[in-house]
Amino acid sequence: MILLKVAWKNIWRNKVRSLVVISAICLGLWAGVFGSAFVQGMMKSKIEAVIHTEISHIQFHAPGFRDEFNGKLFIPNSTNIAEKLANDNEIEAVSERVISMGMLASANKNSALRLVGINPSDEKKVTNIHTKLVEGSYFETNKKRPIVISKKTADDFKIKLNSKVVFTMQDVHGVIKHASFRVVGIYQTSNNMYDKMTAFVDISQLKKLYELENGSHEIAVWLKDHDQAEIKAKGFQENYQTLEVKPWMDLSSGMRMMIEAFDVYLYFIVGIILFALLFSILNTMLMAVLERVREIGMLMAIGMAKKKVFIMIMYETVFMTMIGVPIGFLLSWISIQYTGSHGIDLSGAAYENQGFESIIYPYLEAQSYVEVTIMVLIMSIAAAIYPALKALKLRPVEAIRKV
Amino acid sequence: MSVIETSHLTKIYDEGPVAVRAVDDVSIQITEGEFTAVVGPSGSGKTTLLNIIGGLDRPSSGSVKVADVELGDMNEDQLIKFRLENIGFVFQSYNLIPVLTAKENTEFIMLLQGVSEKERDTRVLQLLDEVGIGEQANKRPSEMSGGQQQRVAVARALASRPKFVLADEPTANLDSKSAENLLDLMLQLNKEENVTFIFSTHDQRVIDRARRVITLEDGKILSDESR
Ligand SMILES: Nc1ncnc2c1ncn2[C@@H]1O[C@H](COP(=O)(O)OP(=O)(O)OP(=O)(O)O)[C@@H](O)[C@H]1O
Ligand SMILES: [Mg+2]
Repeated sequence: MILLKVAWKNIWRNKVRSLVVISAICLGLWAGVFGSAFVQGMMKSKIEAVIHTEISHIQFHAPGFRDEFNGKLFIPNSTNIAEKLANDNEIEAVSERVISMGMLASANKNSALRLVGINPSDEKKVTNIHTKLVEGSYFETNKKRPIVISKKTADDFKIKLNSKVVFTMQDVHGVIKHASFRVVGIYQTSNNMYDKMTAFVDISQLKKLYELENGSHEIAVWLKDHDQAEIKAKGFQENYQTLEVKPWMDLSSGMRMMIEAFDVYLYFIVGIILFALLFSILNTMLMAVLERVREIGMLMAIGMAKKKVFIMIMYETVFMTMIGVPIGFLLSWISIQYTGSHGIDLSGAAYENQGFESIIYPYLEAQSYVEVTIMVLIMSIAAAIYPALKALKLRPVEAIRKV
Repeated sequence: MSVIETSHLTKIYDEGPVAVRAVDDVSIQITEGEFTAVVGPSGSGKTTLLNIIGGLDRPSSGSVKVADVELGDMNEDQLIKFRLENIGFVFQSYNLIPVLTAKENTEFIMLLQGVSEKERDTRVLQLLDEVGIGEQANKRPSEMSGGQQQRVAVARALASRPKFVLADEPTANLDSKSAENLLDLMLQLNKEENVTFIFSTHDQRVIDRARRVITLEDGKILSDESR
């Protein structure tokens, strides 16, 4: 008890120094938590962007289709399946897609492209490409054979709205087909690679071209609850054993890798911050000990056990940590709440080219708050061990002699 | 009965270019209730001798027994405990914990000893009254004069009910009036409570009040007079 009291009072002997330590703890915690939230927010927005614009939550395919986009590998009876899925009350929306790998040609250029046939009104409920239009419209037209291409494609092919393009592909029988389309909309997402490869037409037109009667290549599902994707996909897989059912994290090859890379990145950031914290506390507490050499020597001379001296100095750090941590925690929480809803605009920083959104909404799971806080606590206390041990090394005779 | 018994105590410092015999073959006995001054010129070994007797430093050769316990047989942790239970210390300065009041400083040592709250309360007040600090009980060291701080240090030293009190130049930082007052206080406690005091000093007026004077020179005992 008396040790607690002395330790508490000792903190306030050198207010500036203690405030430096408290601020360091506070800032360290803030930086750790906010840094994590920033990275997680970045990742989350990236994932959400990919899910929202490209892949949705769950996709059904015929086995093997995803390997080479072989048009012969379609889902038979897909419309029935889609209708059935649409009645599932955990599912928000379902969209059927017919997909063809082929060549797109304009007067100037031709290049490989993946043409996706969709039903615009269904697709709107599953992905948000319709919100990414920079010119024209999302099939709201009375033009005959509409196609929506990306800005990237438009630039590469030097084509504009109303330009005519020709798509060449194989139908399900292996016969080469040509079809011309007219550009009615130009979209742009944050993912260049996706944009380069993808264009949209009406599903019925592509089906006809394919000679595909009753079937499609992909059924995309949008769930009411994002977090259910993995579980739901597993359930569907059991019900539709002849098909391949995958949740979003298994649909984009880079996704799992990216999540792991971000985790490493996160540990790296938090690690650096914690080390900076460790050294600043270590340094300050060492100063605090060296400044009190005579006093600590006196305490040991009159009979204060080393264990108690050690505990007293540890208490001092613990107290400062107990002040710094809640403040830092609150600060982090407030700044994450604020930036989480207002966003941090990074449009100058050229992130977009790598498929990142230019506005980041920091976000942190409750568990991560607790983890970082515990790490800061442990680090702060660990940092005090060396100075406290240093105090024990003092020999009272020498300490007292120093005038 | 002797509280302290040293035999052929010698302390040699040989880190420098020449070895210094800070204490040289000192054999003394101090009996309970004595009021002893250790005097001698600067560098004569007063501090070194008191530190060895107090278990703060170890001799190069020879031995110290306090209450028939051989200090040389104890390790450092045992020595700390031994000091807590048997010896009261008054240093020249930095005696008190700056963040605690006079009362808390006096109480501190009893807390380390694990004395019950009731006993602590009565003893602290009684001691502070005895050393004339009753009024200042709730002041911190920085709010007191040097003389008052040393009085609190004496109260603190006595609070642990030690076998004897060691004081290395307790008056060195005091003006002569305060120095005499402190000495009178120590004398009074020596008489009334039969506390054994050993202190070192330079100050002639302080020396005059001692009842036994051990004079050192170059670490050796030059004279040992009782009066
Ligand atoms: N740690 C040390 N290392 C080397 N020599 C030392 C050490 N401590 C003391 N000495 C030497 O031992 C001798 C005795 O010193 P000591 O401090 O005991 O004398 P003192 O009588 O207390 O002097 P003063 O009146 O100045 O306090 C001196 O010559 C001193 O230089
Ligand atoms: Mg001395």
